[in-house]
Amino acid sequence: MNLEKMVQEELEMDMTPMIDCVFLLMIFFVLVIDLSQKNLEDLILPRAEFQEPDEEPPENRPILNVLQNGTVIYSSKVYYDPAEHGKNYAPIKQLLSDIRRIGLANKTLTLVDKDVGGATAKVMDEPILIRADKWTEWHYVGEIMKQCSQPDIAFWKVQLALSEEDKETGEKNASLTRGQ
Amino acid sequence: MSALDDAQEEAKADMTPMIDVVFLMIIFFICIEFKVLESKLDAFLPTDKGSQSTVVEPEEQLAIKIHVEAKGTADYERYGGKGVNPNTGRPNRFQLVGHKVKWEVGPKPIYSLAALREELGRIARDPASQIPDKKTGGTKLMSCVIEAYPGAMYADVASTNDAANDAGFEEVNFGGGLGPGK
Repeated sequence: MNLEKMVQEELEMDMTPMIDCVFLLMIFFVLVIDLSQKNLEDLILPRAEFQEPDEEPPENRPILNVLQNGTVIYSSKVYYDPAEHGKNYAPIKQLLSDIRRIGLANKTLTLVDKDVGGATAKVMDEPILIRADKWTEWHYVGEIMKQCSQPDIAFWKVQLALSEEDKETGEKNASLTRGQ
Repeated sequence: MSALDDAQEEAKADMTPMIDVVFLMIIFFICIEFKVLESKLDAFLPTDKGSQSTVVEPEEQLAIKIHVEAKGTADYERYGGKGVNPNTGRPNRFQLVGHKVKWEVGPKPIYSLAALREELGRIARDPASQIPDKKTGGTKLMSCVIEAYPGAMYADVASTNDAANDAGFEEVNFGGGLGPGK
């Protein structure tokens, strides 16, 4: 009888603190993990010797990803798919003007006056980064740049993402191999 | 004695659930970005009048054209074959094999990146490439424009831009609007 009581007591272990802890951990990881990387698609960038290091990127810089087939992705969401939209680039324009509108409303993006050929125009102070795969047709990158230059969008600082190492061929910049 | 027992039990109220909930709320409020919620509210902002179109005087530029000699074939083997990656929902990468381009610097055709670097270096050193600089009143090296013809890849443009920077061209423009390749 005594032994049976002990066994029963062991079975009644209190699970509440463990479940509490698990929930806390879950919430913590869901909210914290992968916030910085979600804007970056898995691409292989072309290698270039002459580039500026992107060590302290502007906090609110929008990042557009262009896949090999020309698909434009912003914040893990597809906005333009050549298979679906073809030569209709309106979704790209819509995306850029939405980024601009929401950014200005949230004050994450700002407008500045810039002298353009003698006249003053309002342009975006923040740059925009275009990340394209090395085997993405340039035409798609050019199309985004064209839309960026429209006066109603005016992202005039367009940055193109490059890499110091070609992850496909393994070629590295001299600056990387010098230390080895 | 019994009454004292009762009183003691009341004093031992279990604080654990309350502390748990408080911690949950603390983490929630630390992690939530209030800006995200704010942006969902409607705002009626004054609209911008729009910028005037301006005319920029044309300057002499060096045109570097990239023509595609051979488009190349897409090789999916290295990245798991043609198809969609089930984990990411994105199409698998391919490697372009046999892609070949030809450059045209001014009228001169160039067939390799090394020759392009050499030619651009020669042009940059040529005194005839200096144009008047309106800002300083002196002279500066003319800018160059990279015109990628249909089918040219981002890698081609990036390497051309790299070669131009290497030669000393500080202002590089990108032409475009020539349409997609077949």
